[in-house]
Amino acid sequence: MTGNIRYIKNRIESIKSTKQITNAMKMVAAAKLRRAQDRILKARPYADHINQMIKILKYKGKNSEHPLLCTSSESKEILIILTSDRGLCGSFNSNIIRQAMKYIHDKKDTDLICIGKKGADYLKKRTGRIIDTYKGIFNEMDFSVSKEIAAKILNFYLDKKYSAIKVIYNEFKSAIQQNIIIKDILPITIFTADNEISMLDYIYEPDQYTIIDELGKKYVNIELWRMLLESSAAEQGARMLAMDSATNNATELIKELTLYYNRARQARITKEIIEISSGAEAINK
Amino acid sequence: MSIRVKIIQPVKIKTDGYFDHVIIPGCEGDFGVSSEHTPFITKIRPGILTLYKDNTTSKLAIHDGFVTVENNQVWILCDTIEEEEEIDAERAQAARKRAENRLKSTETNIDFRRAEAALHRAIARLTIIKG
Repeated sequence: MTGNIRYIKNRIESIKSTKQITNAMKMVAAAKLRRAQDRILKARPYADHINQMIKILKYKGKNSEHPLLCTSSESKEILIILTSDRGLCGSFNSNIIRQAMKYIHDKKDTDLICIGKKGADYLKKRTGRIIDTYKGIFNEMDFSVSKEIAAKILNFYLDKKYSAIKVIYNEFKSAIQQNIIIKDILPITIFTADNEISMLDYIYEPDQYTIIDELGKKYVNIELWRMLLESSAAEQGARMLAMDSATNNATELIKELTLYYNRARQARITKEIIEISSGAEAINK
Repeated sequence: MSIRVKIIQPVKIKTDGYFDHVIIPGCEGDFGVSSEHTPFITKIRPGILTLYKDNTTSKLAIHDGFVTVENNQVWILCDTIEEEEEIDAERAQAARKRAENRLKSTETNIDFRRAEAALHRAIARLTIIKG
């Protein structure tokens, strides 16, 4: 009996400290989420303007035969999988890995690039098609890192070995909602209505082709950066949610165990009193 | 008449304001933009961007990017642009030396275009510091 009480007490203590940790992780995730959201907002004007410029060049200059803008005849594709470096973020990673596995099951001719430790570790054991992995970039988000990755992707594409480069990632909808989407990063596909294009006649220097060359690189840079930011914001959102429910569960458990503890304590006291009183009764007889 | 100049970086908007006149290092030479400039799209080469406003000028070292001029608006997209306070003089000096040495060397495995670009960047930075 006494052993049981002590056991419950220990459990309560350990759950309390777990709760403290999950609660702290929730706070940290919330703070990081705010920072990530802020960065997404800051990257938006640049991305929007690059898109605008590509639209102008693609539809006005009849540049659709530029290699960055049109599909090639190759059938091989690259799928870039964005996962997180750390766990404890609910179904964030498992969902995306499941989707990715489904995709490469359907399209056998797909090579993989993994960004994020979780996806890389999982897929390394199960597929032999990973051509590149990047780990630990979400800790210190830096545009120059994303630029390096983008340069490599561009090389893969321009070497004409691949027809398309796609990214599967968690789109950041809100702090509590993430959407998994697959997006083409190359060739550059921008859909636009005719009336959206400015009707001005631009002078180009040096010439449109060179500008698309350079602009395409910038486009890949900023798109990848935007996706990395979205994924990291979504990760923090997922972690915040997971840690919030973990904290709630811990609170529930503590409540329940405290009840058991009190019951057991009461039972012990009652038992002791019964023992004493029955002992006294026996003497009186 | 003034023109609106917006300098946009991937991580932030550097400048957004009205200026009288701006000189930009385009890839085929520096060019100035005043109001009523014709629509224009060009690449930027490493150099110095000068903004004029009410008899004051501000100079920035710019490394790469694009300019769009339309309707009295100048949009500058660039990855790196620095004011005087942001430049590390020693690093720029070192970068200049390194680039110069690479250009002088006779080895064949050197990416001369890259070294040249690095040299131009370092020179732009150093020019800003010297005023």
